[in-house]
Amino acid sequence: MTAAIRARARRWHQGWLRRRIPPARSLRLDHRRIFILPSRAGVAFLLLLLIMLIGAINYQNSLVYGLTFTLLSLFWVALHHTYRNLAAVQLRATGGRAVFAGEQVPLGLTLRSERREHQALKMRWPGLDAVSVDVPARGEQALTLFHPTERRGWLALERLRIETRYPLGWFVAWSLVDLDWQVLVYPKPVSAPLPVGAAPEGEEGDQPHAQQEGVADFQGLRAYRPGDSRRRLDWRAWSRGQGLHSKVFAEPQQQSLWLDLAAAAGRDLDERLGVLTGWVLEMEREQRPYGLSLPGVRIEPAQGDSHREGCLRALALYGLEARA
Amino acid sequence: MSTALIPRNALAWLLGAQLVVLLPHLPRLPWWVAVLWLGCAAWRVQIQRMRWGYPGRILRAGGLLLTGVAVFFTQGTLIGLDATVMLLLLLFMLKLLEMRNPRDALVVIYLGFFILATAFLFDQGIPLTLYQCVGAVVLVAALIGLQQSPARNDPWHALRSAAAMLLQALPLMLLMFLFFPRLAPLWTINLPSAESRTGLSDTMAPADIANLAQSPELAFRASFEGNIPPPSRLYWRAMTLSRFDGRVWSQDRLLEGHQPLAVERSGAALEYQVVAQPTGRNWLYSLPGSVSDSPELRAMGDDTLRAKRPLSSTFGYTATAFERVQRQRDGLPDDERQRLLQLPEDSDPRSRAWAEELRQRYDSDAELVNALLRHFNQQPYHYTLRPPTLGRHSNDEFLFDTRRGFCEHYAGAMTFVLRAAGIPARVVTGYQGGELNPRGGYLLVHQFDAHAWIEAWLPGQGWQSFDPTFQVAPSRIERGLEEAMREEGSFLADAPLAGSRYRDIGWVNNLRLTWDDINYQWQLRVLNFQSEEQLALFKRWLGTADWRRIGVVVLSLVGLVMVVQALIWLRPRRISGSPAQRAWQRLDQRLGKLGLGVRAGEGPRDWQQRLRQALPQQRAAIDGFFDRFIEQSYAQRQPGEAQAHLKPALQTLLRSLPRRRPPAPSQALD
Repeated sequence: MTAAIRARARRWHQGWLRRRIPPARSLRLDHRRIFILPSRAGVAFLLLLLIMLIGAINYQNSLVYGLTFTLLSLFWVALHHTYRNLAAVQLRATGGRAVFAGEQVPLGLTLRSERREHQALKMRWPGLDAVSVDVPARGEQALTLFHPTERRGWLALERLRIETRYPLGWFVAWSLVDLDWQVLVYPKPVSAPLPVGAAPEGEEGDQPHAQQEGVADFQGLRAYRPGDSRRRLDWRAWSRGQGLHSKVFAEPQQQSLWLDLAAAAGRDLDERLGVLTGWVLEMEREQRPYGLSLPGVRIEPAQGDSHREGCLRALALYGLEARA
Repeated sequence: MSTALIPRNALAWLLGAQLVVLLPHLPRLPWWVAVLWLGCAAWRVQIQRMRWGYPGRILRAGGLLLTGVAVFFTQGTLIGLDATVMLLLLLFMLKLLEMRNPRDALVVIYLGFFILATAFLFDQGIPLTLYQCVGAVVLVAALIGLQQSPARNDPWHALRSAAAMLLQALPLMLLMFLFFPRLAPLWTINLPSAESRTGLSDTMAPADIANLAQSPELAFRASFEGNIPPPSRLYWRAMTLSRFDGRVWSQDRLLEGHQPLAVERSGAALEYQVVAQPTGRNWLYSLPGSVSDSPELRAMGDDTLRAKRPLSSTFGYTATAFERVQRQRDGLPDDERQRLLQLPEDSDPRSRAWAEELRQRYDSDAELVNALLRHFNQQPYHYTLRPPTLGRHSNDEFLFDTRRGFCEHYAGAMTFVLRAAGIPARVVTGYQGGELNPRGGYLLVHQFDAHAWIEAWLPGQGWQSFDPTFQVAPSRIERGLEEAMREEGSFLADAPLAGSRYRDIGWVNNLRLTWDDINYQWQLRVLNFQSEEQLALFKRWLGTADWRRIGVVVLSLVGLVMVVQALIWLRPRRISGSPAQRAWQRLDQRLGKLGLGVRAGEGPRDWQQRLRQALPQQRAAIDGFFDRFIEQSYAQRQPGEAQAHLKPALQTLLRSLPRRRPPAPSQALD
């Protein structure tokens, strides 16, 4: 019962936050996006002031009154300083590259100050360690945050909490921002022996093993085309200033391999996709062409960085809803 | 947070703050407290440098126990203000050694704020108050140091921010100080080191004093509505001594009693205000027959005023004296009369005999009193602060043998003789005279102005004051002790540095009196600002003492200050550009309302042409602005100079603009 209510409250809170602070690649923290409350240290300080006030009353001591009121006004001043330390900071999401599930994904974040210096801003995801930075006046501060990944697919990040207690620690001002990092998480690779020449249509013959190591027959150079493997670039020619060229090898004997979900064994879908991922990486390492076949997805055999990414992407998103 | 360490910066500020906060307390405490602090601080620095470790649990428990024992042996108790403050101070120091994370540091800083406040219980002078401001800044700097990023190594930044924030806190603090209702104490409390203060003694034993110690310390200050009366009228009564055991005069609690005294007052009223220095005692200083409506004090049966609570800090009150007062004119109750005639059975036979003789000679009490005064005046009595000590029958020896003494000898002896002659009498102690501070127009009454005189009850007149000392040394009364002691050279002989000794040196004296005036104003306006003064202030400013109306005014004032400050601090700021860019944006904003805003890709010249056509009336102003604008944007002038020309041009143009867009002018006119 309570769990249900809590879940509901949480959903409502998330929805409210989404309306108030919509996801955006860059945003400026302003009064609509900043929340501020006294911290525990602030409440303790108020209790201290209460004791001092009682002392002032009992001893009828004007100077103790004066000190108490000075500190109470300081409390009020601190509220504004803490708010201003967070206000007018511009956040911009940068980078974010795909990783395999289980790895830490690096997320770039740039903070920019419009005029004043912002000190001791702490950024934290729930349950993770905070990162603290200072942003110089009218300057920028770039940093990389790391977030662990568990599941394949589009990385579902909780809102990033950016908070500050500077200067006196009596208030905590925070914002919960969704910087809309688009990060794809590939399935976690599982190592398994490569399938035995599985060709769904059988058109490629029944060659049991790929015998060739693939760099045997160098045929010549051709102009670089996007998608060519980096390993085959002719760096020597490039350093001579002759432009980018890819080395072309004869690949007649090289049998392309179909990587099929049906051939991958595993406890569940994610593990089987992980096996496929491991195969993709293995084939890339051996620089052999491969095709990918999943129910409803078919990628013709090829080889190279862009092919690899296409396959991994298909594996990451297989069976998941496309992101809006 | 709990795993974080304390940044170096924060530790430096913390140690600095501890030192600043502890210093004012150290003179009151044994020397080893300072050494202990140095030890704790050094240890904590070594911990930070990873040289030493934190003390173990046994050591900590032992230290705590030792602290309690030490406080008990120093103060003689573990309760009471002095002991509590000392305990607090020691814990404040020892906490350094278990300050592992920022939360512990926060505890130390909060304790520091508290200790800052406790110092004011012992001293409320201006120097300490200024010093404590420094303490507050350093404590706030330590707080900032805790919040700063550990990597940041700029300690002065924290100090500057702390000072700035405290300055920003001032307006609201002043409002709260003035308007927060001053409540009566919530419960009774013990007071700081009441016994150790100097002041009058509540007993008098002139026979034992060989050299009267004088103190240059201030007893109280008094100011008058109107002219200050002559010194001969300035007899400040503090207490009456009605019991005599043959050697010591002391107070008679029953006579002081708290019954209303029958006083007839007539003649001109004289209102005066007294600010008394703390004595730890209840007695106050008043002129004879004074009335006061201060709620903090009460009038006693012996015509003295008493504070309801011992004076732990300066205490101010107003009272009114009258030109003529007659106290208990209609008679004394029998039991009072008995007590006022009390004498020990077997003392001073010669004085008694002499009293009998006087009684035989004079029928009227008044005549007898006058005869006694004449006796002091005409016989070779000598006023001195270095009298011989007296034996068993002290009054006899004084009256007939030594004849050397100061006010207490004369007052004691005269009271004795009057009582022996059947006239109710008592010794009155207090202060006489005072030093005028011409700058502030008030009186400074010092401890060396302490005086004793007598009162006798005469039929048909009631209580009358008499001063035998005046008969012996009139200059003591009229011009003060210093004059009277000029020959003997005993004025403030024990206090070679006292400012009062250097009254002859003009500039020193000026400096002393000015400083005293500042202190007096401080006491009057700040330290003494309690409920009475607050109500008077409300009446003067708001014309009412009704708390509801005051509440409304105060809350709106506080609200106003808070809103104004919030507006200043939280005002959204536009992304700044050059002055020319800002002027351009402003004009665009304004003209946008007329539908004449700048169009995408339009340069200044094009826009100017379009505006000239649309607003033919304002052509001069338009040209004025755009010429300046182009001059500044492209001619690379100094920014300051640019602003100076551009701003007026913009203002002129904005003012000349119509509210609505004028109809398009016909071609013929163009």
